[in-house]
Amino acid sequence: MSELALSKGGSAPVAATEPVARAPIGAWGDIACVAVLATLPFVLGGFWTYSIGVALANAVGVLSVSVLVRFGGEVSIGHNFFMAAGAYAVAILEKRWGIPFYLSMFVAPAAGLLLGLAFAYPSRSLSGIYLAVATMALGLAVPEILLQWSSVTGGFEGLYVTGHLTTVVSKDLQHYYVALLILVAVVYALKRLRHSRQGLALLTARSHPRAAEAFGVTVSWARLSVMGISASLAGLSGGTLAFVSSTVSPNSFSFSSAIFLLVGSVASFYALSLPAAVLGAAVITLLPQYFATAGEWVPIFYGAALLLVILCGNAGTSALRRAAAWLGVRHV
Amino acid sequence: MSDIAGATRALRAERVSLAFGALQVLFGVDVEFPPGRITGLIGPNGAGKSSLFNCLTGLYRPQTGKITFGGARLDGLPPAARAGHGLARSFQHVALCSEMTVAENVMFGLTRHGKAGWASAFLPLPAGARERADARARAIAALELLAIAALADKRVGELPPGPLRLVELARAIVGEPRVLLLDEPAAGLNSLETRDLLAALRRIARPELVMVVVEHDMDLIMQLCDSIYVLNFGKVIALGTPDEIRRDPEVARVYLGADDA
Repeated sequence: MSELALSKGGSAPVAATEPVARAPIGAWGDIACVAVLATLPFVLGGFWTYSIGVALANAVGVLSVSVLVRFGGEVSIGHNFFMAAGAYAVAILEKRWGIPFYLSMFVAPAAGLLLGLAFAYPSRSLSGIYLAVATMALGLAVPEILLQWSSVTGGFEGLYVTGHLTTVVSKDLQHYYVALLILVAVVYALKRLRHSRQGLALLTARSHPRAAEAFGVTVSWARLSVMGISASLAGLSGGTLAFVSSTVSPNSFSFSSAIFLLVGSVASFYALSLPAAVLGAAVITLLPQYFATAGEWVPIFYGAALLLVILCGNAGTSALRRAAAWLGVRHV
Repeated sequence: MSDIAGATRALRAERVSLAFGALQVLFGVDVEFPPGRITGLIGPNGAGKSSLFNCLTGLYRPQTGKITFGGARLDGLPPAARAGHGLARSFQHVALCSEMTVAENVMFGLTRHGKAGWASAFLPLPAGARERADARARAIAALELLAIAALADKRVGELPPGPLRLVELARAIVGEPRVLLLDEPAAGLNSLETRDLLAALRRIARPELVMVVVEHDMDLIMQLCDSIYVLNFGKVIALGTPDEIRRDPEVARVYLGADDA
């Protein structure tokens, strides 16, 4: 290094601004993905438009788990809790006060954020398996809370979300494109986060907590921040899901949906890019429909797929690594 | 920095004692690290130099004694709060985030100075953009001082240990600290890399900066430091210039004894 660094270092001019296109394939992959998704409703029928719309809402949920993994190094199996908070916020606001989705879509992530912080503060000294178990407690509690509090939540039946944003466009297309817009906005915001001061602080705190502390960033700040971001995305995902599927019920936010989110996150290699999130969401939303005839075999397919992804990932199979790189894993 | 009475801004440990259960590792250690000088902290394995270093950074809390910087009490403050007093450090095992570029790792060194809020972390707001451009420029300047600006946009995972040490140094100095604590900066470096490190450390030295180096590499310490504390069995056994330390019979005995063992 010595000759190279000392001879080149002083003289070589370095751009004061950063190279913008570090990941041209990632950027083009995102654009191509948006283009394909934007045309799908015109190519596919109403059923698929609905299903893919649900997948787009779930993609935000997959990202919420991936954010926790990438920026916090933690795993959650309780994100159905924050999703349910966002979804029921949208449904209850409409039912009780007639508040439309273009307002309640901001309340949904706020509800997730508040609950996320309320959960993260007492658990800020937990990490790894201990935190995962704590999130599991949240996840398991969701159906019980919803059923117990049936005067507000509609109990087992749940609530209907009938509102729409405009009468010009058909309801189905509204659902689809609003979900797509929200997903694109989330991916964009997360890309900015990666390069922000807070993003750099979170990444450093995750990989070297002591180094972060030495520069004034406390680990508890990092844990609260990451859980706050993650839970608000989960809340937004839930709110979007309520809007897209026109209904909320305890069944949609059972403990297994938290597991599905984690499966989707693993299947997307924890990447925070658009194609990866859509892939992860497709795995958890569309595959079950595809395999619906297989009935009881679905969980086994899931287990096998999950195992495959994890084992191949660890073995470092070059093809998978390349696929991961293409999906933007290395560029977050 | 803004401080004019630089001479009074020394980092001091007074009568610091530290024990882990029944194991006493520091016995009332008195040390002073004045600004404008590079002070070495050496001693055989188990002498307590790392323990003393960790008391300075805040990782360990001494049972008795106090640690002050420019009159302010530091003992009792956690590491993150000490950063606010102008303390910065490097790590024995390089602690850089491998997902981030060299420049980004150095920019993290400025995180404490950042003002832009969460909104500009997610949205394209001018305040965040300005802060980021400014941080980038300061990071590049720090890398230029260490002659590794060419590596700014390399990913940390792609670099060998020598340059990584310098990146850590750049991260430590970019926020213009008043105290720089270096934990075995030459660990794992070959002789060429050590030579570069020596040159870099000399370039960093400034009249108002307190520099403390814990190091095993005796050649580096002797060439770099203005004065050296020698610790053995948790006590200071010598303080002097490199020449004085080299001639000190007690130090020679400790080191020869340690080498023989």
